[in-house]
Amino acid sequence: MDQSEKRLIKKIRKGDQQAFAELVERYKNSVFAICLRMVGNAQEAEDLSQEAFIRAYNRIDQYDHDRKFSTWLFRIATNLSIDFLRRRKNNVSLDAVVPGTEGLSLNTMLPDEGEQPEDQMVRKETEEMVQEQIKRLPDKYRSAIVLKYIEDLSLKEISEIMEIPVGTVKTRIHRGREMLRKNMITEGGGRA
Amino acid sequence: MNCVSKKYVSLMNKVLDQEATEQEKQVLFEHLATCAECRVHFNELKESTELLRRLTHPQLPAAFTESVLNQLPPDKRNAIHKWGSRHPVLTTVAICALPMSLVVIGSRRQTRNRNGYALVKVSGDQT
Ligand SMILES: [Zn+2]
Repeated sequence: MDQSEKRLIKKIRKGDQQAFAELVERYKNSVFAICLRMVGNAQEAEDLSQEAFIRAYNRIDQYDHDRKFSTWLFRIATNLSIDFLRRRKNNVSLDAVVPGTEGLSLNTMLPDEGEQPEDQMVRKETEEMVQEQIKRLPDKYRSAIVLKYIEDLSLKEISEIMEIPVGTVKTRIHRGREMLRKNMITEGGGRA
Repeated sequence: MNCVSKKYVSLMNKVLDQEATEQEKQVLFEHLATCAECRVHFNELKESTELLRRLTHPQLPAAFTESVLNQLPPDKRNAIHKWGSRHPVLTTVAICALPMSLVVIGSRRQTRNRNGYALVKVSGDQT
């Protein structure tokens, strides 16, 4: 871990909230991306991201500084997202009110400079389709796939975040990938 | 699916995980050149993950960090703890001195209470 981060964490342990603010700035968009793709709803993802940072602050004494801070933080974010999904699964009525991709509104999607409206629409539709496919993956495959393809993390980092052996991460990614492939060809583009 | 055998699927996974050796890559790509079925399968795998990679990374609102900070517990407890662990003797003195100073303040207040004018003046300054 880099030295500036070590210094920040020392300060945070002493209760320095400005030091914590620096870490939030550094990691907030990664944490948000993980939560967003895990739960598929921008508002829920923002709430979960907040919760993840607050939990990290409150439990900073449990952080083992031999590991990367991001590993520990992403673990908190992934676990909170999985807990949220389980709660939501048990609450069918809520699930009906909050469809998967609602909340991915234009204010959270940064449109590319100069992109044509039709392109924007196509992109939005594609994103919704992809998000729907992620949502259909079982939790344990979903976490591995999101960490790999949204955060672009190495298999080793994913294994540390999920606290499972690298071999298991690979299996989950392979199965998740195969599931995505199957579902996308049958429902995505109708290429089958 | 006849040809998409375990052997080639596992090679595809190795290549996609960027863990294949040059030799393994060669075996796979030579096969893909002759087998349409495996070629389609491999391209579909690549395409699905490519779609994931291309998802936008939306930005959080600018006020996010502030909003997190506002929800943190006040750091007074930490401040006292930190100070206390550095100066244990002083903390003890401070803790013992606290009730004493309360007595002092209390008696002062009483003195001021007898002098109504002073009390009004003091509280006026405070607000
Ligand atoms: Zn083949």
